[in-house]
Amino acid sequence: MEIVVCVKPVPDAETRLRVATDGTTLDPEGVKFVLAGYDESAVEQALLLKEATPGSKVHVIAAGPSPRTEEVLRASLALGCDLATWVETPPGLASDPISAARALARAIRAVPHDLVLCGKNAGDDEAGVVAGALAELLSVPDFSAVLDLRWDAAATRLRFQRWTETGTETWEAPLPCVVALQRAWNDPRIAKLPAILKSRKLPIAKVPIDPAPPVAGTSRPVKFELPPARTGAKILEFKTPEEAAQKLVKVLKEEAKVFP
Amino acid sequence: MTGPTLVVGELEEGHLADATREAVGVAQTLAGKENVLGFLAGSSARAPAAAFGRVGVAKAFVAEDPRLEGAVGAVVAHLVASVADSVGSELVIVGGSTFGRDLVAHLSVRWNAAAATGVTALVRTDAALEVRRPIFAGRATETRRLEGAHAAVAIRPHAFPSPPDATTETALTAVPVDGIPPALWVPKRTGVKPAERGAGPSLTEATIVVSGGRGVRSAENFHLIEELAASLDAAVGASRAVTDAGWRPDSYQVGQTGKAVSPQLYVAVGISGAIQHLAGMISSRVIVAINTDSTAPIFKVADYGIVGDLFQVVPALTQEIRRARGR
Repeated sequence: MEIVVCVKPVPDAETRLRVATDGTTLDPEGVKFVLAGYDESAVEQALLLKEATPGSKVHVIAAGPSPRTEEVLRASLALGCDLATWVETPPGLASDPISAARALARAIRAVPHDLVLCGKNAGDDEAGVVAGALAELLSVPDFSAVLDLRWDAAATRLRFQRWTETGTETWEAPLPCVVALQRAWNDPRIAKLPAILKSRKLPIAKVPIDPAPPVAGTSRPVKFELPPARTGAKILEFKTPEEAAQKLVKVLKEEAKVFP
Repeated sequence: MTGPTLVVGELEEGHLADATREAVGVAQTLAGKENVLGFLAGSSARAPAAAFGRVGVAKAFVAEDPRLEGAVGAVVAHLVASVADSVGSELVIVGGSTFGRDLVAHLSVRWNAAAATGVTALVRTDAALEVRRPIFAGRATETRRLEGAHAAVAIRPHAFPSPPDATTETALTAVPVDGIPPALWVPKRTGVKPAERGAGPSLTEATIVVSGGRGVRSAENFHLIEELAASLDAAVGASRAVTDAGWRPDSYQVGQTGKAVSPQLYVAVGISGAIQHLAGMISSRVIVAINTDSTAPIFKVADYGIVGDLFQVVPALTQEIRRARGR
């Protein structure tokens, strides 16, 4: 099975967010970029499928600016992906998820792809639209919010469950298709040092920027704001649990006005 | 943008979802009440589509076909794009569910639309549509300009009020279900299991949510959370620690990988307040935290805090609330 997994570099969860001087985006200065959390599960899922299906290959593809995009590709190679491709994105549209999907699709079309795996969303923009857009661009079905995934070789069907607001659905689908994984249900492996060292020397294929201007709707960031710092909770002082309960009911009634 | 705004409806247990009503409200504010059209697809969509009238929508398109039960997002996007083109619409708005996000993703390519999800404000400036959306798990907010001839927007659940009740008669127009590429009908949904959830209102619809975390220590102790919730007529939620441990089903989980809630009152009991959890509840209006550890990050985002042992405080609180409510 030829498995493509799409990944994105995002700021580490511990990053202290700052506004860039032009006020439109996050200031990337000093930010440590890592594999997006859901993408990490997607890589793990790809590797599990590869291990369970002899003759499979995992091709990791990312679209975005240098050097952070190459770094997450190398991290994926260190985890066990076989091939890596970096797609450049047009300046100014780097943060538009649909432009990213179009860039990814250009790279995916050029390589064998039975299954395209994505994370549900990336923890920075939380758009969650790349998988659906990829499916349209590649003219294959897609499934979002997938919880678990296995390949039934005898039936040549993927079998999986997906999460919805009202319950859990069971599905089966033939390849090719695009799958977006809902959450880190698997326990992503950690790269070993020799693999990390080796990954630094592995080739990364490069797909240049599409010279054609975008034909479709796009979006551009015009403002990036941080919320006013929370002042912290008003801590209720009490001597007995009963006193704590009375004080809380009183403030909910009289101050917050949310007591039913 | 001058054409009508198309609101794509979603069914929940056979009825028009709250998210759809909220989407109608957003469309009416932006485009004017008479400029909003409804759309609904499903195996049985005609009857529920009449409910568009209860939020003042006078005309709706209906695609009814047994195959649409649980169809993939691409199928609905095909139908929506053709209806949007036939009425000269330039903007499609949908509720911010999994379905809504998928639809926006597909329309971005199928209908060449600028796309935005998780939107909490939508305004028309001279140049274009602008959306505001929380990002970085609610730690920042971005404003984006949507450029191009079409836009598809999924709104964040509960970020907008439902429109007032109306008694409009909705004229329904049937949409033919053809021209869908055969490959899109091949994947089969083979089963549906309704989410297990606590007694009382559903998590995403409740005005009060009481959630328990690791501090509750066991499945057996979770009844303390449920009794407190019952005293407030609240929905019951849980942190990921609780659902990962199997104390309660996954459907209880509030957080980045679970449900996003924005009730009037959120009570976090024995929850430390990891970013993962905060992402699902930070937009609640009033937050109360009960935790033994005064340095827990939850106290930084809460409005009111009780630093104390939940096994003592929660039963006392349940009793005090019952007394105050005359129960």
